[in-house]
Amino acid sequence: MNGQRVLTLMRREARATLRDPFTVGMLVAVPLAALLVFGFTISADVKGLVLGIHDASQTPSSRRLLADIEANGQFKPRRFADRSAIERALVGGQISAAVIIPPSFDRALRDAPGTAAAEVQVLYDGAETTTAGNAEAFLRGMIGASIASLTARGGAPQPGAAPPRGVAVVSRVLFNPTLDGTPYMVAGTFGFVLTFLTTLITAVSIVNERLQGTFEQLQVTPATSLEIFLGKVLPLGGVFAVDVGLMVLAAGVIMGAWPNGSIPFFIAVSSFYVLTSLALGLVISATSSSPAEAVQKTVLTSIPLVQLSGFAFPIRNMPLPVQWVAEIFPATHYIRVSRAIYLRGEGPLELLPELAMLLVFGLLLMGVALRSMEARA
Amino acid sequence: MIISARGLTKRFGDFVAVDDLTLGIEPGTIFAFLGANGSGKSTTIRMLIGLLKPTAGQIELDGVDVIRHPRAVRDRIGYMGQKVSLYQGLSLRENVEFYAGLVSLSGAALEQRWGALRERFELGDAEAERPENLPAGIRQRAGLAVATLHQPRVLFLDEPTAGVDVHNRAVFWDLIQEEAGTGVTVFVTTHFLEEVDYCDRAAFIDAGKLLVDATPEELRRRYSGGYRIRVGVAPGALEPAASALRAAGYTWCAEADGSELTIEALHPAALAALHSATRGAPVSIDQPAMADVFRRLVSAGAPP
Repeated sequence: MNGQRVLTLMRREARATLRDPFTVGMLVAVPLAALLVFGFTISADVKGLVLGIHDASQTPSSRRLLADIEANGQFKPRRFADRSAIERALVGGQISAAVIIPPSFDRALRDAPGTAAAEVQVLYDGAETTTAGNAEAFLRGMIGASIASLTARGGAPQPGAAPPRGVAVVSRVLFNPTLDGTPYMVAGTFGFVLTFLTTLITAVSIVNERLQGTFEQLQVTPATSLEIFLGKVLPLGGVFAVDVGLMVLAAGVIMGAWPNGSIPFFIAVSSFYVLTSLALGLVISATSSSPAEAVQKTVLTSIPLVQLSGFAFPIRNMPLPVQWVAEIFPATHYIRVSRAIYLRGEGPLELLPELAMLLVFGLLLMGVALRSMEARA
Repeated sequence: MIISARGLTKRFGDFVAVDDLTLGIEPGTIFAFLGANGSGKSTTIRMLIGLLKPTAGQIELDGVDVIRHPRAVRDRIGYMGQKVSLYQGLSLRENVEFYAGLVSLSGAALEQRWGALRERFELGDAEAERPENLPAGIRQRAGLAVATLHQPRVLFLDEPTAGVDVHNRAVFWDLIQEEAGTGVTVFVTTHFLEEVDYCDRAAFIDAGKLLVDATPEELRRRYSGGYRIRVGVAPGALEPAASALRAAGYTWCAEADGSELTIEALHPAALAALHSATRGAPVSIDQPAMADVFRRLVSAGAPP
């Protein structure tokens, strides 16, 4: 081996790498972004979860229990006036879990053990299995300890009464009561696949055609940009719609994970989302000068799209600014819709806001894709 | 004029790619547009065919305002870029059907048109082949055939003979001249300067500015040392021939092995004077190379 030659080769490689601003940016930004995203933003623990609270007892004992929960600092408590408001907030995703203290809480603290005169209910959305499991275990432990402490401190208002042990902590899961993680992951996987694969496939299409000269040729024919756009996305959209059908079938037959909602509705929404992702791919392609650049851009775009869209980690656990960013990803809304159909069996009416967001993003991206094909700078 | 551009300018930031270019081309003309790499040739073509919006200026093609209605000219033009724009993975026949579909040509009309082109461009054997498997010369011919499928009024050819061997280039130019013979206007860029002689007119562009726009003969007259004519005259006939030519206004230089005459252009009068003065003597004429013309032109920075 000739050391001089190796040095010469290394020098050339370093120069080539450092002179490409895109590569340098990627080499610096990707590790930092990954570190921040994975280490700081993404978390499946319960810290910072918004916890709904309804205190139907309104006694010093119940207030002490709630004070213990608040003092723990793990949750962000939010008070609700009644139980139905709490359930609505859980369904709407404003809170991740909830604690309901019954009216008889104070009296039950003095009841004999095992009589279970009052139940402190812990409610959570079982659709998010990991977080739900963690939150439930954490809350049960914390509430149990707090009640024990109340008992030990004589938290009951009447001294000399019988030891209060008539309070039980029970959990109730909204949706996915068996806490089966498969439907949750299956519904999310649609988002991952339809975001990454579709974007990647179209990302190289225009840039390849441009290199071969066929795109320029296409642009001087009477075909309009809209016709070219539709000619590109509709066949791929059709293929991916079939893909979605196959995935639904495979998940149902092999894993037993069928959508609780309407399958045709799910395929229709997914097909529209495919068109949105294909449009994003076309934008990437039209703004890239080589297939390699298009692939790099796709990977760079898809990583945050997938990681921050709630596919693997709950968005509500992320810092607030990141949650705002997540809202501008079409994947976030699609994954919500997908899980709502799979796990909660929701239909178009319940999902109207998310569907509207998908529609807005879809039309926006298709518009940008069309503009990027005009090429009349 | 079938193509008319006035004050055409294109800026990319501070860089002026095309600077106040004015052109007028008559129908049926083969117009060569020449210049070094980066001189503004492709930018000009892209503006003329409506792919790029000029920063300033006006373009009219076959009576259509290209800047205002870029799409309206597209069924009147045929275009063939530097890379022959046939889809790989599709056979030539499938490519033809694809492009024909975009210009609403199908059924019997397509068969009739393609049948004629296939025969004229000698593409029968290539029809089932994929473009990537065809030799460059045949691929270029196929590209030209596809570009003329819809019988455009103007053909834009951007370096159509790049990478093609000498024989196939000649065949290709024969086809271009045939097209022009049917009234099609051909706007062509090329790096092969000798190909200018296939053209009716040639324009040179340098750093975005038009240097000259003239016929090949006029370019030679203005930007070369002129035609060099060598005449093998018998010693006794030298002086009478020289006198006859001097009388006709031409310079005669006696050489050791004969005589040499230099004239700016091959005018019929010069040829007649030469013929009468050197009757029976062997004559060889050196045409000034277009590369020399181009070199002199660029170094002179000639105005149009």
